[in-house]
Amino acid sequence: MTDPMLVIIGAGPAGMAAAIEAVRAGVRVTVLDENLRPGGQIYRQLDPSFTVTAPGALGRDFQRGQALVAEYASLASRMEHLGDSLVWGLFPEREVAFLRGGESQVIRYDQLIIALGAYDRPIPFPGWTLPGVLTAGGAQRLVKTQRVLPGERILLVGTGPLQLALANQIIHAGGKVVGIVEAAGVLGNWFQLACGAVGQWTLVSDALHYAWGITKARVPLLRSHVIVEARGNSKVEEAVIARVDEEWRVVPGTARTIAVDALCVGYGFVPSVELTRLAGCEHQYRSELGGWIPVRDEHMGTTVSGVYAAGDCAGVAGSQVALEEGRIAGIAAACALGRLSGEEAARRAAPSHHRLRSLARLRRVLDAISVPRRGLYELATDDTVVCRCEEITLGEIRAAIAGGANDLNAIKRMTRSGMGTCQGRYCGPALQEIVARERNALPQEVVPLNPRPPIRPVSIAALAGQGELE
Amino acid sequence: MADRRISNGVARGTAFEILVDGRSIPAHEGETIGAALIAAGIHGLRHTAKRHEPRGMFCGIGLCYECAMVINGVPNIRACQTLATPGCTVETQKGLGRLGGAE
Repeated sequence: MTDPMLVIIGAGPAGMAAAIEAVRAGVRVTVLDENLRPGGQIYRQLDPSFTVTAPGALGRDFQRGQALVAEYASLASRMEHLGDSLVWGLFPEREVAFLRGGESQVIRYDQLIIALGAYDRPIPFPGWTLPGVLTAGGAQRLVKTQRVLPGERILLVGTGPLQLALANQIIHAGGKVVGIVEAAGVLGNWFQLACGAVGQWTLVSDALHYAWGITKARVPLLRSHVIVEARGNSKVEEAVIARVDEEWRVVPGTARTIAVDALCVGYGFVPSVELTRLAGCEHQYRSELGGWIPVRDEHMGTTVSGVYAAGDCAGVAGSQVALEEGRIAGIAAACALGRLSGEEAARRAAPSHHRLRSLARLRRVLDAISVPRRGLYELATDDTVVCRCEEITLGEIRAAIAGGANDLNAIKRMTRSGMGTCQGRYCGPALQEIVARERNALPQEVVPLNPRPPIRPVSIAALAGQGELE
Repeated sequence: MADRRISNGVARGTAFEILVDGRSIPAHEGETIGAALIAAGIHGLRHTAKRHEPRGMFCGIGLCYECAMVINGVPNIRACQTLATPGCTVETQKGLGRLGGAE
């Protein structure tokens, strides 16, 4: 008989921290991660053919990540890390199906920690499909780990601290940021922010560092403004921005045009819940945490026994929260597998619980400032493509709603919206809000898209060659 | 030609060329095809099937599939996730893509 197995999906801060704690407690661990190297999005490692000559130039997160990745790597001989492993389904009998090296494989678990992370919140607006318009997260990866600038005149639009971090990285790299367009009217919230941040010196120091970098480079920061349209023939050439009110609705007569060749859009993140939903976990809608998130207990356990969720996939809160949640989940799984007594598990998890309580104060303030307001979902016109994969416009979606489609699955059947290669990731979150508005309902009252395996495109050839691990 | 590579912070691997719609552009070991194209100022990577609109890299992390191109003759390959290799051929994808051809 083999030892019971903990499977962790995702090797970002939450997944790595969970693995570190579980391996320390003597648990047999396998980590499945889509990327070639551990780190996730925030701590993504550069390809080994790049030589880092000045770590400072790669940003503060990169340096913080190095320590965690090194600790994780030091456990390599005591666990199994499977990179380039794309999980595409969860099945009864505690099976995880994943794609690796062009072949589909299955692994069985006794305990499962899902740490999938989050992705940039999609906000449809006229012209958002033009080449040169990319997500802030995608732009950050390009700048940080490929060391390429997305353009020569870069405009950042959206909300929240990532915009400031990205602007700094571009400036340090010698790039030209023509402006930062921030939807929130942040100015009045600085006092509130300072109160919430007491005891969180790392985050406060990051914010001050970023603000100073932007001031020094004389980059205009426009508060209470949003992008309303991207224009261009074969790629983005102009950005139209306008002032907004408190609900982020455009104030008529305030539009102006800026010449750009790259537009980075960052309206926060959406938790990746496709695996917790496939696992049958109960979910709740919390707009301040990014939308649908799994319901959890204090040990990060979901409503399905033996299945935990840690980090941004269970509510967007950033890498520091993800790290502590990962530790707690790893310790809880070790306890469930009998490797730690309840008392010892509580002792090991206590510092993380303490850190989470302290981080939660700052989080509440940041959430209150940056949670997307309704006006954002009013930017798309009837001709705007909402489902990028199947090219379904807002007009077609409204026609389907008028024809009786009252949830995302009905809209999918009638229009194909959400049926394409991204599997609804880039239309679902906006549709949740748009359908609610059209039906005069709350977003949480609209039934979301049901994820179905394969949750990522898998070739028939890969499925045909299906093998089993061990 | 534009070169949007950032020179500070890192030293790159071996330089080579890749063939994009019949034209040579520079790339380095460890670079994705998507990054090499953006470095050369090329943003349009495919044309959609229905509206025949240009699309480029959007999510940049492998989830949205907007950067699907025909790479070494195989369609629907994500440029943002695929490493450039010496002499690889990259074609703008038109529509849904077909095995064994650019169309």
